[in-house]
Amino acid sequence: MTTDVSTIYLLDVATGGSIEAELRDAIEQAQLDDWQVKWQPALLAVLQDLARNGVPMSQWPQSWHWNWAQKTAQVQGLLAFRGFSVVACGETQGLAQVDLRKAGREPSQVGKPLVYLDYLEVAPWNRPELGPAPRMRGVGSALITAAVALSVDEGFKGRLGLHSLPQADAFYRKIGMTDLGQDSAYQNLSYFEMTVEQARAFLEEE
Amino acid sequence: MKLERSKDWWMAQARREGGAVIGAGLLAFDPVPEEHGSGAQSAAAEETRIAFGKFVNLMRRRRGFSIEQLAQAADLDASELLVIEDHNHYVPEPRTIFKLAETFEVSQRRLMQLAGLTAANDAGFRQEAVRFAARSESVQKLTLEESSALEAFVAVLSDREPKRVK
Repeated sequence: MTTDVSTIYLLDVATGGSIEAELRDAIEQAQLDDWQVKWQPALLAVLQDLARNGVPMSQWPQSWHWNWAQKTAQVQGLLAFRGFSVVACGETQGLAQVDLRKAGREPSQVGKPLVYLDYLEVAPWNRPELGPAPRMRGVGSALITAAVALSVDEGFKGRLGLHSLPQADAFYRKIGMTDLGQDSAYQNLSYFEMTVEQARAFLEEE
Repeated sequence: MKLERSKDWWMAQARREGGAVIGAGLLAFDPVPEEHGSGAQSAAAEETRIAFGKFVNLMRRRRGFSIEQLAQAADLDASELLVIEDHNHYVPEPRTIFKLAETFEVSQRRLMQLAGLTAANDAGFRQEAVRFAARSESVQKLTLEESSALEAFVAVLSDREPKRVK
């Protein structure tokens, strides 16, 4: 299977200009390599700064306690599933993995097939919660766009489900998704769904 | 799958993001562990845990390791080591202690006590730990004093007689 590459544009936060980027409909070895040799050290550097500046642990990013060994193994496993990646400036800027076997929970679409966004992560240097100067904006949105578009492609009409990181709840509400509350089976992450109508609005919005 | 959207469309999306954090799924999220213990019982443990953090820090620096290098050598999570060195309220997992004791070649039993996972049955040990913590300062290079404090404490941790310190 060959990887389809779409040209997309990201916002360069420093200059306000645009950055041409690739949205690839796969996660490949190059992405996993970037994750390991670029993302992981970048995140560690942020954690070291926090520790050095005496920031209390309760204020650390929610992802601080990643078990790297376990996470690395899981990330390696992403190769086996349908995924998306955003590549710009020669580096992986974001990753997402989807599962097409899940069904809807929102009352209007209970039991209907949807694209479940299993995993979405943006490179540490683009994450506003990790420092004052994120480099690029639009990576997360592009990955969600890809997932919704895949849902349309698969005949799921744009239906999308995901478990949000707590800091990201506000964003999913902002793009019109329905908050179905905390899911005790997923460490109390909030579960969000996009309905057919919400997906249509999301994809057409100017 | 190809996406055909205008440049303006993508830029509008990026701008709408604002300063939002975007992430999803358990793989992108691990919760902060529950706070362990409380009250007077943990106050004593906290004292020795300060020594534990300093001990790990000094042993690592004596070997010239960065946190990442120690994590690799001991097969541990680097972010956990970071927390161990700097946050004395953190209670490490037994496996972590086991790996550190193995890497630093000290008594696993003593290290468990130092980390507050088990209680030491001699008050002398706790005193040694507190004395060690008080003598070591967190600076870039190991000073001579730190080295001797560390050495004496390694002897305690190894269940041997402490060496005389110059």
